[in-house]
Amino acid sequence: MSASKEELFKRLSDGVVDMEEEDVIEACNEYVEAGYPIFDGIMDGLVDGMNRASQLYEDEEYFVTDVLLCSDAMYEGLSILRPHLPSDEAEKEKIKGVIGVVEGDTHDIGKNLVKIMLETAGFEMIDLGRDVPLQSFVDKAKEVNASFVCMSTLMTTTMGGMNTVVDLLKEAGMREEVKVIIGGGPISKKFADKIGADGYSPNAVEAVKLIKKLLAIA
Amino acid sequence: MHKDDKMTPNERLTAFMTGKPMDRILAMPVLCSMSGLALGMTHKEKRSSALNEANAQVACYERFGNDLTIIEYGLHGVGAALGSQMSDPEDSIPAIMKYTLDNLNDVDQLDMSKLELKNDKKFQLHVEATKILIDEVGKEVPTGVLISGPFTAAASIYQTEHLLRATRKNPEKLHQLINFCNEGLKMIYREFIKAGAIILLCDPIASGTILNQKQYLEFVLPYTIDLMKDIHDAKGMVCYHICGDTTAIVGDMVKSGCDMLSIDNRVDLAYTKEVAGDKVPILGNVDPVEVLILGNTKDVDLTVKNCIQKAYDSPCGYILASGCDLSGEVPLENLDQFMASARKYGKWPLDPKNFV
Repeated sequence: MSASKEELFKRLSDGVVDMEEEDVIEACNEYVEAGYPIFDGIMDGLVDGMNRASQLYEDEEYFVTDVLLCSDAMYEGLSILRPHLPSDEAEKEKIKGVIGVVEGDTHDIGKNLVKIMLETAGFEMIDLGRDVPLQSFVDKAKEVNASFVCMSTLMTTTMGGMNTVVDLLKEAGMREEVKVIIGGGPISKKFADKIGADGYSPNAVEAVKLIKKLLAIA
Repeated sequence: MHKDDKMTPNERLTAFMTGKPMDRILAMPVLCSMSGLALGMTHKEKRSSALNEANAQVACYERFGNDLTIIEYGLHGVGAALGSQMSDPEDSIPAIMKYTLDNLNDVDQLDMSKLELKNDKKFQLHVEATKILIDEVGKEVPTGVLISGPFTAAASIYQTEHLLRATRKNPEKLHQLINFCNEGLKMIYREFIKAGAIILLCDPIASGTILNQKQYLEFVLPYTIDLMKDIHDAKGMVCYHICGDTTAIVGDMVKSGCDMLSIDNRVDLAYTKEVAGDKVPILGNVDPVEVLILGNTKDVDLTVKNCIQKAYDSPCGYILASGCDLSGEVPLENLDQFMASARKYGKWPLDPKNFV
């Protein structure tokens, strides 16, 4: 007899929290085979696990490495479950955000953590990567009709690029529709205020809360 | 010597090390990657020749009277020499565009000879700059070289995110990579020590913001202890700095055997004094961005005062410094103020009435 849905939720969630990719893959395959609703497996299993991991990160029990390995397990699981989503759920429009490390900088761990957390929270993130030409943030936001843009940098010499992106969004007449949040080692609330960004987040968990607040999502 | 001082930085440092009176507290704003500003040079101009690099430092020293001149070997030098591809920006520190090592299992193929002075042109440039600088102002002011520690050197060869995963998934090969870096760094440090420089060992990727204490103890500290020993065997002196929030590892960092400990502005100076102040002199930690780049002279004055207030009575001594390297558009008048405030609040003999 196959495992109950609840048992599999737990195995998926625990597998993510414990960074056990193999366990997650095995539980996902069983879940698909048993024919349980795929959407629930993602939300109550994988995403639940990642949410627990981010809580541990917030509590400083988990560090960057742990979060990366948890997310590896989650993404492995998603790659198995997602193809089985019924088309109406798979194609359901999500709120979109564009994210990247500004031009001149290639430090991208912080950006990747923020992306993981925002994806876990249900946003569709378009990742421009690192050393991103400033105009690309604007062009991509326009192309995908993004609700927000996230920028990060670790270097003081490239901070100014964030200001340029805010200006470019204004020039394109998009500033009202697109929220801008920034983060990274040298970045602060003070700097965010100075360049007219909508918010600053000191870490990836806060970034999710900030975006939800700015977009007035509960 | 700066017109507002009564001792040269060399005299001041000697007095500090031997517990003799000085004219004022030692003040070492980390005038490194931004030093070209003092001559209106971009970072690219500054890093393009040994003479430019040395001249930028001389110009900073002449204007500010700072107690340490700094050569920028930098954090990516090891990776770049081994083949990591770097950007070449006009006015910023080059960034790593592509890492030389894709697969950690290929660590055996890294070629140590590429790190040797005779084979690395950039290394030659920095050693040459050190010699010019010491020739020029070495009688008055000490010279340090800002250079990566083992974990950061490893992160210039192999992408940090993979490096972090490897702490769990492939620790054996990761140890091999860090060990390789350590042996390379020993050789590099020795050349700078021979040229007369103090080693400013910076290991930002080992930051508490990225690693937990357990990872630091396994992948960073043992190598750092080994490096410090080699520096001392070569009769060198070393100041140890890790960026970001190192609160959890400050007590461990000092076990490395460093001669001085420098902390980021994310760490409380009073806490550092408590944990490490009875073992080594401590340096810190005026915020380079909020205060020195974005702030005004009033902010600088207040922050310098607060730092001195917190750490002036640290048992092994306190050196006023910025919390990290200064890069980008630092208003030079903020640095004038940094030194003026050091002279004002740090006037000898130190009197809490002046800064409490």
